[in-house]
Amino acid sequence: MFYLTQLLGKPVVDASGQTIGTISDIAISTGEVFPRVTALAFRGPDKTPFMLSWRKFVESIDDERVVLNAERASLRFSYMQPDEVLLHRDLLNKQIVDTQGMKVVRVNDLKLSESRNQLRLLGAEVGMRSVLRALSPHLENAAAAIAHLFGAELSETVIAWNYMDLLDRDLSSVRLSVTHKRLHELHPADVADVLEQLTPSQRASVFEHLDNAQAADAISELEDAFQADVIDDLGSERASNILEMMDPDDAADIIGDLPYDKAETLLRLMGVDQASTIRRLLGYKEKTAGGIMTPEVTTVTEKMTVQQVIESLRRESADSESIYYIYVTEGDSHLVGVISLRDLVMSEPSVSVTDIVQRDVFTAGVDDDQEDVAELMSKYDLLAVPVIDETGKLLGIVTVDDALDVLEEESAEDLALATGADRTFEATDAWSWLGRKSSWLTIWTITGVGGAVVLGRFLPTLRATLATVLFIPLVMRLAEEIATHSLGVLIDAGDPEQRPPLGKRLLVDVAVGLGLAAVSTLIVFGMLEVLNEPRAAVTVITTAVGLSVLITTIAGTLVPYVSLNKEGTAWRVPSALLTAGFALLGLVVYLGAIAYLTPIIGG
Amino acid sequence: MMSGSSKKTRLLATLAIIGPGIIAASAGNDSGGISTYSAAGARYGYKMLWMMMIMTPAFMIIQEMAGRMGAVTGKGFSALIRERFGVRPTFFAMLLLLASNAATTVAEFAGVAAAMELFGVSRYLSVPIAAAVVWLLVVRGSYRHVEKVLLALSSVFIAYVISAFMAKPDWLAVGHAIVVPQIVPTTGFIALAIGLTGTTIAPWMQFLVQSNIVDKGTTIKEWRIARLDVMVGALVANLVAMFIIITTGAVLHPAGIMATSAKEAANALAPLAGSYATLLFAIGLLAASVLSAAVLPLTASYAICEAFGWESGLDRVWSEAPMFNGIYTFVIFLAAAVVLLPGVNLISIMLISQVINGMMLPFLLIFMMLIINDTRIMGSYVNGPFHNILAWGTIIVAISLTVLLVVMTLLGVG
Repeated sequence: MFYLTQLLGKPVVDASGQTIGTISDIAISTGEVFPRVTALAFRGPDKTPFMLSWRKFVESIDDERVVLNAERASLRFSYMQPDEVLLHRDLLNKQIVDTQGMKVVRVNDLKLSESRNQLRLLGAEVGMRSVLRALSPHLENAAAAIAHLFGAELSETVIAWNYMDLLDRDLSSVRLSVTHKRLHELHPADVADVLEQLTPSQRASVFEHLDNAQAADAISELEDAFQADVIDDLGSERASNILEMMDPDDAADIIGDLPYDKAETLLRLMGVDQASTIRRLLGYKEKTAGGIMTPEVTTVTEKMTVQQVIESLRRESADSESIYYIYVTEGDSHLVGVISLRDLVMSEPSVSVTDIVQRDVFTAGVDDDQEDVAELMSKYDLLAVPVIDETGKLLGIVTVDDALDVLEEESAEDLALATGADRTFEATDAWSWLGRKSSWLTIWTITGVGGAVVLGRFLPTLRATLATVLFIPLVMRLAEEIATHSLGVLIDAGDPEQRPPLGKRLLVDVAVGLGLAAVSTLIVFGMLEVLNEPRAAVTVITTAVGLSVLITTIAGTLVPYVSLNKEGTAWRVPSALLTAGFALLGLVVYLGAIAYLTPIIGG
Repeated sequence: MMSGSSKKTRLLATLAIIGPGIIAASAGNDSGGISTYSAAGARYGYKMLWMMMIMTPAFMIIQEMAGRMGAVTGKGFSALIRERFGVRPTFFAMLLLLASNAATTVAEFAGVAAAMELFGVSRYLSVPIAAAVVWLLVVRGSYRHVEKVLLALSSVFIAYVISAFMAKPDWLAVGHAIVVPQIVPTTGFIALAIGLTGTTIAPWMQFLVQSNIVDKGTTIKEWRIARLDVMVGALVANLVAMFIIITTGAVLHPAGIMATSAKEAANALAPLAGSYATLLFAIGLLAASVLSAAVLPLTASYAICEAFGWESGLDRVWSEAPMFNGIYTFVIFLAAAVVLLPGVNLISIMLISQVINGMMLPFLLIFMMLIINDTRIMGSYVNGPFHNILAWGTIIVAISLTVLLVVMTLLGVG
């Protein structure tokens, strides 16, 4: 994801690593639904403007710079084409008007997305967040952090490009429309990338413009989390038509994620063959080889000749997901061996299958963990693995694209587990429920309130107790933030290069802690003053909050270093434990400080 | 027959186009203006007249530039700033505008308070009522109907012209002061000079005249006629201003009255109105203040919404245009609240607000100069050298005055 305002002014580096200018604009071609970036405009050393073809010369782009694939001397400069629009000159800061002529907002930023080495314009960013970013990225981060502290999200407001209409190149304002250009020029994976960025209603309107085959391709390429949602949003008739066009294993995956009623409706609307294949696949456990395999396998018998095998392939396997391996079976689909497409093509037509079959086959059991299957395939560079049951009967194959999906999914889950942000998967058992941040906060707040009430016995008035309780959530929330931060350090620590020296880190974090403590102290002080608490109580509670924040922050810095062994590999700390530990520490320091200070200052 | 009808339509067209300039310029002589000109005359006699002589052509061409930008682009000043410079400079410019408009609105409510105190009504009664009335006038959109009445009432300040003649000033001294620049090296004089610039070429007036031109849909062809109106309006407003200085310089200055209160300032009309001077002054001040108290927050609201692309317009309800309604409401009630702070001197507030205007002015003018000389925006209607020299001159003088004031204050000179 890139933002135009962040790209402007970034250096343009040629193949020899020399900076030859700074980005001044980016051109797109307007004909497409999600327009491709076609040209890069930049300013050379003496402010001379240049333009380059994006496709020909841009090697890579990241947040810091654009790298070209040629040296300065061999660059060929280009000119604006009639269908090109410059994002900065023609779109940024322009007024957006809806179909009724009502002013909506101005284009504060333009959001670009990279898919398959192509940069595409997603849409215009119009929300408050983009105004803040344009003023200063620091301001945006600060505002987002403050919003986060109050449990809110500073969300982005993107108007998708397909709603924007550049009427006869009159670029004085951008008019919104709901009309689309056709979508079919895009690769399904690109469409999928784009669909994932849209809101459900925008997504639905894009689907109206796709035919069933395109929709099926695009949905297959979507992330799992979106697939069921998208199908669920479509009408049953259309949804079942689309599912029928997809590979049975993909279709089964999606149907498995749907609510029972909806799934049954869709299956009943399908052809009998398709429906029964899918039902059979649904019978296998999720996350096993059976769950991700496709039953469409190309099988031959040992008696056939190469000539016959090729003919049978032409006849029957035109629709198969994978024909790189042809499996040899006997009797009741009992797996005997495998022939690769290569062997087949290289052999004389008259050669018998028996002579070229390879009997030593990597196989997967139907109940094998999908991750193991994927790792097997990645280790031995297999394009497909046959799945067999206990008796050796061939049930289907797991193809490489499904295996890649698994690897991607698993790594995302590992990351989510590590950070405790488990939004991507449904937590089912009690332990992962406990791991969820919000429940920790609730539990510890209740404990904290209980502790404060007990403490209240030592305090002279109930009023002071209430004031004490009032700030427990604040202390807990801050402790949780610190835990998250500390965890981030732990994860980074796996990479020794990312690890700044302890002294420097400590200095920075103590400074941050002091700042945080000062701010929270001020907030607490202000609230207590407004509540007109007695002077002594104000002093005690304010000091306790400040102390608690400061000590947790310092602990947050030290924990990652204590938990690292000499080799630099991180000691595995469960995130839930870490959060709980910090919450407890924050609470103990807070209540402890109150208990200790009250007799001294008097409350 | 043919020629008769075409002549008639041309006359109608001319009349339809004429108007915005005179309104904008007349509204410029608001409470801040009256107090600044009165103080200039009362404290320094004719010594500041030469500034008016320079600022009048500057004001005329700056108004002309604003109107020309509106006619060529069909967009308001803040829209052009946003599209030419991006978010960050726009934010800065809008902050300047908001500060200068809010300060001037404070001056307007101070004007209301001062006028009503001449009638013996406490400011704690008059200002809240005025704020509510102004807000309702704006929200209800009925301000357009009242506008004419208020304009008529505020035109009593033309009385200064007659009063100036009746006061029998030393016309030779007046003429001398107009052509020979004089500077009194004190911070008070410099500050007042900045205020005089700020009130004569108020930043918000450029936004107002441009958006009036845009709202009327004036094209660049019609602009040739309309600019006469804008420039004549500017000229008339400044002539009245000069007569205020002459009158106060002739009546108050010799008597050593510093015009530190509305009552003192009102005495300048005594040669004409005698014992009714206070009444006349109070009515004019009240009408001008209420008029501008409605116009200023609206101008800020329109400009800021235009810069950030938010929906605006008096026909929009709160939910359709939340920022638009929010901004003017905020400015109106904030300004009224400031006037009610205990122990503030009303005339000082009015003067300070104009000094703030004068300090903000050059920065907004720089934006204007960069836009109007951009051929991508203005095409062949960019500034000629005469306009450029005069406008850049004004910017340099305004910045120099501010720098001078800061340096003198820091060094403790004057």
